[in-house]
Amino acid sequence: MQVSATLSPPMSPGDRRPARLSRVGVVALVLLTALFSIGVLALMLGITAVSAEEVLRIVFTDGGERVPRIVIWEVRLPRFLLGALAGAALAVAGAMLQDALNNELAEPGLLGVSTGASLIVAVVVIFNIAVPFGMLPVLALIGGLAVGGVILLATRITRDPVRMILIGAALGALFSALITAVIVLGSPDEIRVLYSYLVGSLIGRDWDDVRLALPWIAAALPIALCFGRPLNLLQLGDDMAEGLGLPVFRTRTLIFTVAIALQAAVVAVAGPIGFIALLAPHMVRGLLATTDARQVLPISALVGAVLLTSADLLARELFSPAELPVGLITIGIGSPIALFLLRRLFIRRTA
Amino acid sequence: MATFDTVHESANIIPDVRPFAVRRFPLFLALSLGVIALLIVLHIAVGTLDFSPVQIVKALVDQAEDPLHRQVVWGLRLPRALVAIVAGAMLGLAGAILQTVTRNPLAEPGLMGVSSGGVLAIVIYIVFGAGVSADSGLILPLVGLIGGMTAATLTYLLSYSNGTDPIRLVLTGVLVAGMCSAFTSLLLLWADDYQVQRIIRWTVGSTSGRVWVHWETLYPIALIAIPIGLVSAGLANVLQLGDSVARGIGQRVELARLFLLFAASLLTAGAVAVVGAVGFIGLIGPHMARRIVGGDVRRLFPMSVILTAALLIGSDILARTLTIGWIGIITGLDIPDTAGLPVGAVTALLGAPFFLVLLLRRKHAL
Repeated sequence: MQVSATLSPPMSPGDRRPARLSRVGVVALVLLTALFSIGVLALMLGITAVSAEEVLRIVFTDGGERVPRIVIWEVRLPRFLLGALAGAALAVAGAMLQDALNNELAEPGLLGVSTGASLIVAVVVIFNIAVPFGMLPVLALIGGLAVGGVILLATRITRDPVRMILIGAALGALFSALITAVIVLGSPDEIRVLYSYLVGSLIGRDWDDVRLALPWIAAALPIALCFGRPLNLLQLGDDMAEGLGLPVFRTRTLIFTVAIALQAAVVAVAGPIGFIALLAPHMVRGLLATTDARQVLPISALVGAVLLTSADLLARELFSPAELPVGLITIGIGSPIALFLLRRLFIRRTA
Repeated sequence: MATFDTVHESANIIPDVRPFAVRRFPLFLALSLGVIALLIVLHIAVGTLDFSPVQIVKALVDQAEDPLHRQVVWGLRLPRALVAIVAGAMLGLAGAILQTVTRNPLAEPGLMGVSSGGVLAIVIYIVFGAGVSADSGLILPLVGLIGGMTAATLTYLLSYSNGTDPIRLVLTGVLVAGMCSAFTSLLLLWADDYQVQRIIRWTVGSTSGRVWVHWETLYPIALIAIPIGLVSAGLANVLQLGDSVARGIGQRVELARLFLLFAASLLTAGAVAVVGAVGFIGLIGPHMARRIVGGDVRRLFPMSVILTAALLIGSDILARTLTIGWIGIITGLDIPDTAGLPVGAVTALLGAPFFLVLLLRRKHAL
C-alpha cells in the first residue's frame, strides 16, 4: 500500500502516520488470514464434507480423491472466489459513493442504483432477449448509470445527505415497481429464479460467472483505488474541494461511473446483494480509526470479501441442505445496522 | 365551508385570480365526480363483451334484454369497477396524508412498509395457509390488513426516539419495506407454480377477478378510514407548518402525527389487502391534485381521493383493453400474444416517466 505525502488525511495529524501505516498492515494481514480460513471452511463444508488437509492438498497439488476434487474445483471454489470478488467490488463501490456524496448512508441499494441495474437483467431474462452472456454486465451498467445520472443531477438540487437518500429510495421504489411490472409476464419458473436473483444470490454460480465478473472487477478495482486523493478532498465538502482545485462535478461523475461499474459487474452475476457496500466501509473506518480514503478503499475490499464470503457460508449451512440466497443474510444483518447508522446520522444532524 | 363564502364576498371588491378549481371548489368536486361516473360506465363497457352505454344502464336497473348482460355487468364488471374506485380513493388519500405529514413530496402510501408488509402476510398465508383456494376472498384481505398494520407499527416504533422525525420515518420505512420484500422473495422459493402466479399478482397489484366478496371486505374499511382521513385535514394543515410552529399554535404534534399516520396506514393496508401493492398511484394522484387545488389540505384531501380513484379506474380500463402481444410481434421478443397487464404494471409504467420529471423539476421542494 502506497501512502503518498502530498496530502495528509483529514482529521489525522501527520506525525502519527508511521503508527497508522503499521496498523493498516496488521489489519490487512488479519483480514487476509480470515479470508483464507473462511475459504478453507467454505471448501470443507457441505454435503460432501472434506477435511482441511484434503482441501489444501486438492487446491494446491494434483492429489486428492476424485469426487471431493470435482466438488471443490467445480462447485465450491468458483462460488467462493466469486463471493470474494463480489464482496470486494461492492465494498469499494460503497466506500467511493459514501465519500463522493459525503453521505454515510450512501449505498448502491439505498440509492436505487442496483435496482436500476437489476431492471435491465430482469427485462433480458423475461423477454428472452438474445444477448451474448458476456454483455450482461454492460447492460447492467447501463441501467445502473441511468439511475446514477439522476442521482448526479439531484446533487445539484440538494446537498443534504438525508434528502439524497430519499431521492434514491424513491428511485429504487420506481425501478422495483417497473421490475415487478416486467416480471408479471414471466413463467412461474422465471419468476422464482428472478425473485431469488433480486435478493442477491450466489447459489449455483460457477466458473462461467467468475469469468464474466473477473475482467470487470480486475479492471475497475485498481482504477477505484487510485481515487483516494480526490475522495479525501470531496470529504471536505464541495466548496472546500472546489477551492483546493478539484473539478467537483466532473470528478464525482467519474467516481460514480467507476463505482457503478463495480456494482454492475456484481449485479450481473449475483444480483443486487445489499448492505455489504454500506457496512464494510463503516467497519473499516472504525478499525483503522481514520477516514483517509487511500487506506479505507483497499481495506474495504478485504473486509467486503470477508463479509460476503462468510455470509454466503452462513446462507449455505444455516438450513443445509436447503440453501438461502445470500442477500437474505446480508439484508437480515444489514438492515438493523443501517437503522443504527440512520439514528446516528440524525443525532449528528440535529446537533 | 365558511371560508369559501367569505372568499365569494371579497371577490366583489378584488378580482379573484385563483384558478377555477379553487374558486368554485364544490362545483369542481361535483364535476370530477361526474367524470368518475363516466369512467365507471366506460370501465363496464369495455372487455371481451362490449356493451353500449344504454345496455349497461339497462342492465344496472335490471331491465336487460339479455340475462347474460345482467350477469356480466352485475356479477363481474360492476364490483371490479367499484373495487378499483374505492381502492384508488384510499390510496390517494393515504398518499396525500403522508405527503403532508412527512412534508416530503415523494412520499407514497407504501412508505411505512405498509404495502410490503401486507403483501408479505398475504404471501405467507398463500404459501403456508393450508388448503387456501376457494374461500380466500374473506381471509386474505384480513391477513393483508394485519400484515400492513404490523409493518407500519414496526416502522413507527423503530423510528421513534423522543418523538418521530418525518424523514427518519421515511428512511426507516424504506428499510422495513426492504426486509419484507426480501422475505417475500424467499417464500417464493417454496411456492408451487400456481401459487407463484397468484403471489405475483399481489406484489404488482391487480384488480382482475375482484367480485362482490372483495367489495364486501373493502367497503367497511373504506367507510371507516376515508372519513377519518378527511376529518383529520385540520390536523394535517397545522402539522404542515412545521413541528415548532404547530407546537406554538398549541397542537400536540406527536399525537396528531400518530393519528394521521394511523389513518394513512389503515387506508393503505385496506387497499393493498384487496388489490395488492398497486404502485405510484398514491404518489401521483395527490401530486396532480395539489397542482389543481393547491396545498390547502381541506381541498387537497378530497381532490386527491377523487383524482386517484379516477386514475386507478382509468389505468384499469387501459389494463383491460391493452394487450401487449403486438410489442412481441414487432420486436420479436418472447411475449405471449394474449398477455394482458395487471393494473399495477400499468400504473408503474405510466407513473415512472411522470415521477422522473417531477423529481428533476421540483428543485425547491426537495
